[in-house]
Amino acid sequence: MLVQADNLVKKFGKVNAVDGVSFSIGEGQIFGLLGPNGAGKTTTISILSTYLKPTSGEATVDGFSVTRQAGRVRNIIGFVPQEIALYPTLTALQNLKFYGKMYGLGGAALTERCRNVLELVELWERRHDNIEHFSGGMKRRINLGAGLLHNPRFLLLDEPTVGVDPQSREHIFDTIIKIRDNGSTILYTSHYMEEIELLCDRIAIMDRGKVIASGTLKELLKMLGEGGVIELEVAPPGCPAGLEARITDQQEVTGIRKEGNKLFVSSSDSARSLPPVMKVLEEAGCQVSSLELYAPSLEKLFIQLTGKELRE
Amino acid sequence: MLTSLRKTWYVTAKDLLIVAKDRGAWMTLLVTPLVVIVIVSFALSPVYKGGSLHATLLVSNHDAGGLGKQLTDSLAASPNITIQAAGDRESKTLKQGGSSYGLSLVIPPDFSARVQAGQSVQLQVYDDPNSTTAAPFLKGMIDGAASRFSAVEVAAKAAVSAAIRQNPHADAAAVASRASAAAGAQIANQPIQVKEEPAAGVKTLNTFDIETPGFAVMFLLFGVMIGAEGLLEERDKGTMGRLLVAPVSQASILGGKLLAQFAVSMVQITLLFAVGHFAFGMDTGNSLAGLALMLAATAFTATSFGLLLAALTKTRRQASSVGILAILLMSALGGSWWPLDIVPSFMRKLGHLSMNAWALDGIKGIIIQGQGFIDILPQAGVLLAYGSVCFLIGLKMFKFRAA
Ligand SMILES: Nc1ncnc2c1ncn2[C@@H]1O[C@H](COP(=O)(O)OP(=O)(O)O)[C@@H](O)[C@H]1O
Ligand SMILES: [Mg+2]
Repeated sequence: MLVQADNLVKKFGKVNAVDGVSFSIGEGQIFGLLGPNGAGKTTTISILSTYLKPTSGEATVDGFSVTRQAGRVRNIIGFVPQEIALYPTLTALQNLKFYGKMYGLGGAALTERCRNVLELVELWERRHDNIEHFSGGMKRRINLGAGLLHNPRFLLLDEPTVGVDPQSREHIFDTIIKIRDNGSTILYTSHYMEEIELLCDRIAIMDRGKVIASGTLKELLKMLGEGGVIELEVAPPGCPAGLEARITDQQEVTGIRKEGNKLFVSSSDSARSLPPVMKVLEEAGCQVSSLELYAPSLEKLFIQLTGKELRE
Repeated sequence: MLTSLRKTWYVTAKDLLIVAKDRGAWMTLLVTPLVVIVIVSFALSPVYKGGSLHATLLVSNHDAGGLGKQLTDSLAASPNITIQAAGDRESKTLKQGGSSYGLSLVIPPDFSARVQAGQSVQLQVYDDPNSTTAAPFLKGMIDGAASRFSAVEVAAKAAVSAAIRQNPHADAAAVASRASAAAGAQIANQPIQVKEEPAAGVKTLNTFDIETPGFAVMFLLFGVMIGAEGLLEERDKGTMGRLLVAPVSQASILGGKLLAQFAVSMVQITLLFAVGHFAFGMDTGNSLAGLALMLAATAFTATSFGLLLAALTKTRRQASSVGILAILLMSALGGSWWPLDIVPSFMRKLGHLSMNAWALDGIKGIIIQGQGFIDILPQAGVLLAYGSVCFLIGLKMFKFRAA
């Protein structure tokens, strides 16, 4: 494993921004951290990047401790922050050259790397334009590029697609895949589940500073039941007590969660489960006011696990 | 180590590039101060020439030779001074150390003799304690006039400085005694030579001599305030975060930025003085080295003040509101707006809590009073110490990560 996070905790005053997070990332993987705003993704990535010291816990990159051997770790990693961390009044090339020099590049190697990166993010033609004149998506691409100059073994990307147009997003995805194919290991955070589903080999879902589920996409979706979810809304006054147990007893039903007037029934075959579930409700005198069937998704899993939407 | 220095320099170069490309910054650094300096200098020129700066100097000339008369004549040529010869009664009072006649000058009987012998002479100058407006300038002018006696320059000046000691609110004692000692040393190996100057050649005060240093120092502080905002912005916009997780030390990051700020301040104050001198005839005094030392010490202390400002405030906005208040306070108290010679002595003491006062004491010492490199060392020293304290506190308190 290239990266190992072990029971990381970070407190800001009374807030436990990260609250016992553990995971590991194998060489060459794209590892996704999925969670809503405030889940603790940035704080986690900040600890791994050596920017923040954890309150407790430990993490290593290539065996080097991010706290005690930060200097060694810094040579291995590339970090792309959530915000556009570029000098707006300098050109794209001036920005990249500066960051390249900070990583010890110089001379012909620097020139070549800048060119490669600018071509990779497809902004070579715009290299002499000031960053401030770029669109949001173009800024994002240079922001990403600035973290790639030294060919880092481990690349940390904090929400690299926030606020970009679909076209730039495509660009960024393509770039990330190319970087992975070049052998880099990537930690990718996002609150967009489609991105995580699309890009990541392994996924950890975070909420309130904790990893609430992790695994490959397949493993995670299995938690929902392969068949999917039946979401029912019951008209007031709602369901009588004890109803949940009776629903769980029905064919193929793998789980149930109640939230207000809503019932989420997961099933390994929702089409087959639906008639008996409806029958139980009818017998109990519950009136179903709406009904939806879902294929499994991370979004549904998140709702299932936390009772709230991923995107507020 | 070498890599570390190189990276420090790259940070400096990056910041200098940003400033060089920023037209708005140059407006604040150069254009605005020049506009203010020009307006204030022209507006106040009647005040300093003639106007309220005019005074009558009571001269009690006991000199047996001709030099005393020459000195009196050269003073009389100044538009700021009207000479009034002392009568018997007045001379008597002055001899007893009285100063009830306002601004008075006593030339001793052995003035010519001692000057020609290359010895130090005591010129007594008495202030008018009630009218503080003109006296300090005129003292400077007597000083200047005495300095026309070329070889005797240092001796005569030192004597004037020593005489100031009798003035209760001039705390120049230390300077004076040091200057006397220095003068004595110089006289000892200088040939005696009395040079006559045409009366018209006597230096009159140019308002640019007063206003250029004052406002240059104030706008230097505004310049470093912009730098402090930039430092906080770099921290809050994430670019510093990027550097902190790169293989660069914090020392290189901050050191590089401070070096750039110092360079910008140095260029700024030098250009302001250069325009003052070449376009408006501001005097640069007799010691370019002394002036350079003062400007460098001022730029260093300003840079340190900027660091302290960034360290003590949390946000850009805070830095600018606290900064503006501090700079205006320091400028008003410290003599950037009017010379401290004209304020009551407790205000003058209070003013010396600001860096402006120390910077201006040294700079004006050179360009108005014609002091030399050695003379301004105390001011430069205090200024550098002041800057070092700001620097160390700033360094200790600056947070590389926003809270
Ligand atoms: N520097 C900080 N000081 C105080 N609280 C913070 C700080 N950084 C983050 N937090 C808090 O920690 C929690 C997690 O934040 P963050 O890691 O930024 O989440 P995410 O990146 O998933 O949106 C939030 O409640 C946030 O308000
Ligand atoms: Mg975040």
